[in-house]
Amino acid sequence: LVKRDDMDINRIIHIAANAGRIILQSGGETYRVEETILRICNAFGINNADSFVTPTGIMLSAADEYGQTISLVKRIHFRTVDLEKISKVNDLSRNIKNQGYTLEYVEHELDKIESLKKYSLRTILISSCFGAAFFTLLFGGNIKDFFASFIIGGIIKYVTTVLNRVNINDFFINIVGGSVASLLAIFFVYIRLGAHIDKIIIGSIMLLVPGLAITNAIRDTISGDLVAGISRAVEAFLIAAAIAIGSGLILRLWFIYSGGRFTW
Amino acid sequence: LVEGSIYAFIATIGFGILFNIRGRNLFIAALGAGISWFCYLFTMKLTSSTFLAYFLASITAGVFSEVMARILKTPATTFVICGIIPLVPGSGMYYSMYEIIKGNASKALNLSLETLSIAGAVALGILFATSMIKIITYKKNNHVTS
Repeated sequence: LVKRDDMDINRIIHIAANAGRIILQSGGETYRVEETILRICNAFGINNADSFVTPTGIMLSAADEYGQTISLVKRIHFRTVDLEKISKVNDLSRNIKNQGYTLEYVEHELDKIESLKKYSLRTILISSCFGAAFFTLLFGGNIKDFFASFIIGGIIKYVTTVLNRVNINDFFINIVGGSVASLLAIFFVYIRLGAHIDKIIIGSIMLLVPGLAITNAIRDTISGDLVAGISRAVEAFLIAAAIAIGSGLILRLWFIYSGGRFTW
Repeated sequence: LVEGSIYAFIATIGFGILFNIRGRNLFIAALGAGISWFCYLFTMKLTSSTFLAYFLASITAGVFSEVMARILKTPATTFVICGIIPLVPGSGMYYSMYEIIKGNASKALNLSLETLSIAGAVALGILFATSMIKIITYKKNNHVTS
C-alpha cells in the first residue's frame, strides 16, 4: 500500500462516515452501517478503525501509523426508507478493494448515490392506493371496500408526505394518519361507497404500520446491537400506539355522536 | 388460497415502490411476500393455530430473503421488510383498539395479548431463519476451504 499523510486519513474517515450516514438515514441496520464504515477504512489501508452506531448517531475513530487518533461524530436527525440507496452504498463499499477505486471516485459515487431521486410523487401516491386497496381485499373486504381504501390510501400518503416535509415528529404524523383513515372510512360507509369500516381502516393503516422499524429491531437484536434493537422496538411500539390513538379518537367521537350506528 | 397470495403480491409491489426498491428486486421482494402469505394461509387451513401460521410464514419469508440476498447480491433487508409486510398484525392492532374504545376491557386485553404474541412469532421466525442460514453458510464455507 502507498504511504498516506494526515490529509488522507482525514479524508478517508469522512468518506466512511458519509457512506454510513447515507445507509443509516435510508433505514439500514446498525451492524450494516458499522461494517460498511470499517470496510471502507480497511480498503483504504486504515486497519485500526472502530465505529459505534446507534439509530441517532455515528461515532468513528481511527489512528494513523504514528498512533495519532482522529475521531468523528455524525448526528442523524431524520430517517426515511430508501432501500435502493442502502443497496447501492453496500455494493460500492464491497467493490472498493477488489476494483481498486480511488478516493475521488468513491467520493463522486457517494455524491451520486446521495442525489438519487425517489419515484415521483404521483407514482408513490398511486402505489399507496393499490397497496391499501389490496390489503383491504386481503383482510376480507369486498369490492366496495376496495375502492374506498383505494382513495383513502392515496389521501393518507399525501397528508403524511406533506406533514413530513414540515418536519413534524413521527408520533404526530401517525396520529393524523390514523384519524384520517378512520374519518374517511366512516364517511365512505356513510355515503354507502364502502361496506365494512373495519376492513377499510385496517387496509389503509397498513401504510402507516411500522414494518421497517420492526424488521430492523429484530435484525439489530440478532446481530447483538442491543441498544439499537431496543430503541427501534420502542420506535415501532410508539408508531403503533400513535396509529391506534389517532384512529381510536375518531371512532370514539363517532360512538359518542351516533352510538356507532348510521342514521341515514 | 392463491387469490390471497396474489393480493399480497400486488399490495407489496405498491409498498416496495414506497420503499424505493427498483427493477428486478421489486418483483422478487413482492414474490417473497406472496409466498409467505401463501404459507400463512396454508398453515391456517391445516392447523388453525394463528401463532404457528405466523411463525412458519415468517420463517419462509426470512429464508427466502436470505437466499435471494445471496443470489442477487443485495442487502437482505430489502426482501425481509417486504416479506413480513403482510404479516405485521395491523388487524389485531385495530381490533384491540376497537374493543378498548367500546369499553370491553377483558376482550381488549385478550386481543392485545394475541397481537403481541403474533408480533413475537414473526420476530422469532425471522430470527430463526437468519440464524439457520448463518449456520448452513458457515458449514458450506468451511467445506469449500477445507
